[in-house]
Amino acid sequence: MKQKQTLTRRDFLRYSAMTGSAAFLVACAPAAPAAEGEAEPAAAADEAPAAEMSGPKQGGTMTWVGHQEIAGLSPAFMGPTVHWVMIVNIHNPLVAVNEFNELENVLAQSIDVSEDGLTYTFKLHEGVLFHDGTELTADDVAYTYDYYRNPDNGAPIVGSFTGIGSVEAPDKYTVQVNMDNVNAASLASWATVPIVHSAYHAEVGEETYSTAPIGTGPYKLREWRPAEFTELEAFDDHFRGRPNIDVLREDIVPEPSVRMIALQTGEADSAVWPLLVEDSIFLEAEPNFVNFRTLANSIKHFPLNNSIPQLAEKEVRQALMHALDRQRIIDELWNGAAQVSHSNLTPASPYHHSGLKQYDFDPQEAAALLDGAGWAAGGDGIREKDGQKLSFTITTITGDQARRPIAELAQLMFADVGVDVQLEEAPVATILQGMREGTMDASLYNWTYGSAVEPDPFSTLHSTGGNNFAQFNNARMDELIEQGLQVVSYAEREPYYHEIQEIFAEEQPVLNLQFDEWMNVFNARIKGLPEGPKNSLMYQQAYKWWIEE
Amino acid sequence: MLPYLARRILQGAIVIVLISVGTFIIIRLIPGDPTYLLLGEGEIRISQEQIDAIRRRWGLDRPYHEQYLIWAGNLLRGDFGDSLIRRGIPVREMIFEAIPVTIRLNVISLALALGVAIPAGIIAGVRRNSSFDYSTSVGSTLGVALPNFWLGLMLIVLFALYVPRWFGDLPLIGRIPPFGLKSWQGYILPILVLTTEQMAVLTRVMRASMLEVLSQDYVRTAYAKGLPNITVLVRHAVRNALLPVVTVIGFRIAFILSGTIVVETVFAIPGIGRLFTDSIFRLDYQVVQSLVVVLAVLVVVVNLLTDLAYAIIDPRIRIN
Repeated sequence: MKQKQTLTRRDFLRYSAMTGSAAFLVACAPAAPAAEGEAEPAAAADEAPAAEMSGPKQGGTMTWVGHQEIAGLSPAFMGPTVHWVMIVNIHNPLVAVNEFNELENVLAQSIDVSEDGLTYTFKLHEGVLFHDGTELTADDVAYTYDYYRNPDNGAPIVGSFTGIGSVEAPDKYTVQVNMDNVNAASLASWATVPIVHSAYHAEVGEETYSTAPIGTGPYKLREWRPAEFTELEAFDDHFRGRPNIDVLREDIVPEPSVRMIALQTGEADSAVWPLLVEDSIFLEAEPNFVNFRTLANSIKHFPLNNSIPQLAEKEVRQALMHALDRQRIIDELWNGAAQVSHSNLTPASPYHHSGLKQYDFDPQEAAALLDGAGWAAGGDGIREKDGQKLSFTITTITGDQARRPIAELAQLMFADVGVDVQLEEAPVATILQGMREGTMDASLYNWTYGSAVEPDPFSTLHSTGGNNFAQFNNARMDELIEQGLQVVSYAEREPYYHEIQEIFAEEQPVLNLQFDEWMNVFNARIKGLPEGPKNSLMYQQAYKWWIEE
Repeated sequence: MLPYLARRILQGAIVIVLISVGTFIIIRLIPGDPTYLLLGEGEIRISQEQIDAIRRRWGLDRPYHEQYLIWAGNLLRGDFGDSLIRRGIPVREMIFEAIPVTIRLNVISLALALGVAIPAGIIAGVRRNSSFDYSTSVGSTLGVALPNFWLGLMLIVLFALYVPRWFGDLPLIGRIPPFGLKSWQGYILPILVLTTEQMAVLTRVMRASMLEVLSQDYVRTAYAKGLPNITVLVRHAVRNALLPVVTVIGFRIAFILSGTIVVETVFAIPGIGRLFTDSIFRLDYQVVQSLVVVLAVLVVVVNLLTDLAYAIIDPRIRIN
């Protein structure tokens, strides 16, 4: 566990350089996904079994660092990763997606889905206690679902309940969810819904609940200071057994290089929001750290506004794909820690289509496509058609120094084929609204277009999707997305999602760059970590971990 | 005196109302919708209808003038409203939790800066062109030139990471954490950064002011009267030379926010600087508006106190 004792010139140069990347606005950047893809266990993970021979021990405090404040602790706040890690340790859902991309029962002992896919019956574990000692019943589940699916309550997780007609509690330990229509994504969606203590929630209301939650999770809230830290303590009566680690703490540290130093000094045991890629790789080489590399669900991509004349034709978007040297971007700007994306779905998804049309780096092909579409070079070298310059603006997140260089390199690559790109910066809320409403040309960030567990891309690729940043409007795509949700078995769904990927690859509503390797670094004193996880959802298993000094 | 105070208070009230209207308009001119930030990173399925329902629930669909009147009316009753992002937390609580943190940091660093800068400025002014004067000039130039952000990170790397590796725990201090105010040691580096800059500015001002005062006729007259050197300096020179320093202090209090944003972000300190920037980038309207009003009140009060302080320091100035 001892740290290196020497400071080399290289180290000092490295830290001096680091200051250039320490933008103080990073706190606002929602860069990447909450769930990740394919496994690549790394670094000292293989040394873990020997160290763990002595078995689990109780006690200690595990501290992890996040990048932005924890705004609330009710299920409504599940979206951002820094919130999620705390909420899932205070609460439990009926089912959860685990770190191996599998759905597993948590509060549900068994699940029965009717043949028509319209009724889900959950048998609950008996004797599950909330932190105040009262027992979890089916009424708590029904209340939770009814409260958060009611649009009048304005919960951001309202979309998780799409298709539900009613929720019933026929007996103390049975919950029946009746669907108005089949929604194959239901179970995966409900995995993001922790169950609240109905009587308490009804008494204090959602807003107070989010400051003082009572769940059935392995940890109960000890102290919450949103911008500073959140501290949880072990719940002795947790139904899966008392957690080994006494206290879980999340410190909020906006500056990425300070998060790195916090790990190096032992102030923190893990970074729930990844460090800079180069920092994770640096720590990976250190013997006292374990780094898990998992493939992200989200694509790092340029969402393009398909409704503006410059980007409305698929030939232009295809040409832009050919103009991008995506492997060079990964190698030069992302330390090689990513895979080129050929699909909207991560290769970790069983629905991933490996035979899709691919866009190799080929500026000549790009030029030919643009020529063919009638975009001819003007006097200034920029292509134009019917008086419209082939020029657009990419707006990156203010202070996002990790991704901004990608936009700069892409700008040069596009210029080589006669496409003019301007770069701007704006706060993330501005970009999200601008892209959603079609008032912005293009941006650059990570977003999910279907995950390793659930391939449904409704919110991003359906014409009525809430996150349809591309303003993509393709009748066949809409039809496939809707039909894909109406069937449940893998075999029945596969053709729909393969065709969705084919349309995606042909139409290129966005310029998909890469699936990042999501890196979660742990201090090696934390034992019981999973072997070969396939995503970063491992933090919900913290109750199994222990500390060995 | 009283009519003067009444006039200044009335002027201040008008300024605060204008600032509140201006802030309300400006924050809403920033394109964007805070609703999207809570939706997370793309895992949660959402439709436009559902987004609209969330906006309705939070009152974001109401006309701007209605939103302003509701907020201003509540503000007059001491209710700053609730944060859009931290649901359930009153804005007043957020602001009054953050302000003491920032004030503590700034008061300590200002006191330390004054403690060093005033004597250093006086000595540098009196011993003009001496080696002390040159050293002070170089030091203060460096202090002004080094960005807080860079200096903060370098101090963290040095004191939190490498000093413990090289020397172990520091005597009397122990270990300095890289971030946060979990222990008193956590205050050391942020205060050092803030003090460095303030000290540099105040030293330069004090030195320049001393040089100017020492060349005045009344100082020469005081020497001609045969007054001891120390009496001339303390009673005639320093007292008058302090006026620009008081102005600068008042000015810096007004800009306390901008000075601490970077330091609070680098050191992960939950003060008003960080609350302000976080709230702007998340478009947490209620927090930004209320915080600006609170700071506007602070600036108006400090300006008034600064003007009153002139009269105390310089008997030639009369409040009327």
